[in-house]
Formats: sequence, C-alpha cells, structure tokens
Amino acid sequence: MPSATPTRLSHSAALILKTISLGYRFGLDVMEVTGLPSGTVYPALRRLERDQLVESKWEPEDEAFASNRPARRYYQVTRAGKAAALAATERYPLLARLVPEKHA
Amino acid sequence: MSHHLPTPLPHFDRALLHAAATLVPSSEREDWLDSWQAELWHMHSRRRSRFASLRLLADVSYGLVLDALWLRTESWRRTFGGTPVLCIASLFTLCSAALFLAFALNSGNHQLALHFRAIVGRSLGAAPLVIFVAYATASPSHVEQGSRIRPISWLNRKFFLFLKTLLILLFTCLISTDITHPLHSIFPLTADLLQVLAFVLFSLLGLRWAFIDQEQRCKQCLRLLTTPARVGRPSRNLLEWNGTEQVCKQGHGTLSVPEIETSWHQYSQWIDQVSEAA
Repeated sequence: MPSATPTRLSHSAALILKTISLGYRFGLDVMEVTGLPSGTVYPALRRLERDQLVESKWEPEDEAFASNRPARRYYQVTRAGKAAALAATERYPLLARLVPEKHA
Repeated sequence: MSHHLPTPLPHFDRALLHAAATLVPSSEREDWLDSWQAELWHMHSRRRSRFASLRLLADVSYGLVLDALWLRTESWRRTFGGTPVLCIASLFTLCSAALFLAFALNSGNHQLALHFRAIVGRSLGAAPLVIFVAYATASPSHVEQGSRIRPISWLNRKFFLFLKTLLILLFTCLISTDITHPLHSIFPLTADLLQVLAFVLFSLLGLRWAFIDQEQRCKQCLRLLTTPARVGRPSRNLLEWNGTEQVCKQGHGTLSVPEIETSWHQYSQWIDQVSEAA
C-alpha cells in the first residue's frame, strides 16, 4: 500500500531510484552507472518494487528477438517513486551530480 | 514467461543459477530464473577485458545469491511476520541462547545442575511476586465492542500469554544467572543477591512487554495489528474522540486507542469486524 508521506530512503536506495528516474532501466546499467555492487543493487530494487516506488516489466519479446537477445526485466519509476526521488534529491543535494542523465 | 537465449550460458552460470534457484520460493522461481538468465547473458555479451569480466561475474554472482535470499526472507516475512508462532519461536531462541551461554560458563552439565538448583529455587520464590506485580500494574484490557464470546479464541489468547510469560521467566532467570556468573566465584552472596534483583527487574520489564504485545494483537488470529492511523484532531481533545486506529491484516477487526482517557472513551476498544457485519 503506498503511504501518504514520502518514504525516507537510504543514500544507496535514493541513488538507485534517482538512476532509474534518469532513464537507466536495467539492473546491470544501474550497477555500472552508480558503481554500487550487485549485492546492494538487486535487493534494493526488490525493496523499491515492494514499496511501490518502482515497477518492473518485461521487454516485448519481439523487440528483443529482433536484436537477437533475450528479453530483460526493466524498471521504471512510479508516481510515488517520482515524489520519493524528489524528496531524496532535497535530502541528498549532491545525488543529481553523481549520475549523468541517460541520452536515448 | 520463458525466454530462449540466443547462445547458452557458461556451465558455471547455469550451475550457480540452479543452486541459487532452490532458495527462491517456488511461486517466484520461474520468473526469477528468466530474469537472471537474461541478466547474465547480457553481462557476457558486453565486451570487456578478461579481468574485468571475471570481477563483474564474481560481483553479479554475489548479487544473484543475495537476490534469491532476499526473496526467501521476504516470503518468510510475509508468512510469519507478526504471527504468534514467530513471537514464541523468537522467545524460545533467546532461551536456547541463554541456556547455551550458561552451559559454556559452567563448563559442564554437573556444575550447571548444582548451580541451577539454587537459582531455580530462588527464582521460583520471586516469580509469583513478579507475576502479581506485573498483572496488578498492567493497563486495563480492551473493552470489546460488539463481539460474541468465542471460547476457542479466548483460550488461544490466554494460552499464548501463558506461554510468553513462561518463556520470559525462563529467559530472565537464565540471563540473570549468566550475567552474575563472573561475580559468583569472588562474592557468592553478592552475586546471589544481584541475580535475584536482576531476575525481578528483567522479568518485570519482560512481562510488561508481554502485556503490551498482547494488547497490540488481533483478538482472533493473534497477529500483530498493522497500519496505525491517527483519527481526529488533537486540538479538539476534549470535544471529540481523538486517537489511533490499528487494523488486523486478515480483516478480523480494528483497535481504537484514545489519545487521552475521557469519561466517554476510557479504554481502547476492539471492534470485531465479523460481528459488526453480522
């Protein structure tokens, strides 16, 4: 159940949420951009998903098949996640500088 | 959803995936395998130096195992979180740890048995007084509004409280013995006195917690009540009801706790959902 008050996040969870909100959608990408170990990133993604700050979906099969690769699970920020990312940026002002915005 | 990989994963990855998959709850296993197969495939498909690849593989393998463990613990948390079984199991674990420590400190069964005979005698003497004081100073129980008397639920509640009391007394007896043990060889009388005082203090605190915990549980399933919500405005304390409401996740009822005691709402009220609906 999403809470009415914005969730207080740890620095690494806030960094991961911010990274996803900047367009990095896959676990491996988040690891590479943030420099966090996978033992932090993947459980944190699960927690963010449980708290409904991010949601995960599967890429369309045909899109992946056309590029000759398996479909992957990707993450995107929910509305509550956007509010939490905003609150986290206020709490950790340097957060935005740690991750470059992804160019499509 | 099952995905075919354009090229198979290396043997090590497959073996690790299948080993870690046993940790994942069966309902989530297939999805977890698909996600990680895809992640590993993409990891191998990126061009890197051999050293960087190995380092990344070690890191991702660690994350994969932690992810599986997280899913397992989360599944246990959903199943057992707030249940009376978890409460009793935790108290039992604490008792076992204190007993293990007592064995280690007394270096053997025989010495422990001799030492314990005296301690149990003293603690048994103090226990009725402790229970009496704890019961006498406990806050009054809830007024149960609109609920029918269910003998089995009532018996379950009393049995649960009895078990908690018993385990708390046992744990406090053991832990008070453990902490006064180093003093026992130098000042035996002082150590005995301190042991009784520590037992009384710890068991009073423990029983106080047991009563508070009992009040915070559903009257039917004994799970901890969740999602506390503030109701009313504190600025109108004397004009209208103001306090906190907690609900049972299983939908058995609501507990409303007043912020301050007033003549029209002196105690917390348990509102039984089933009786309300009937």
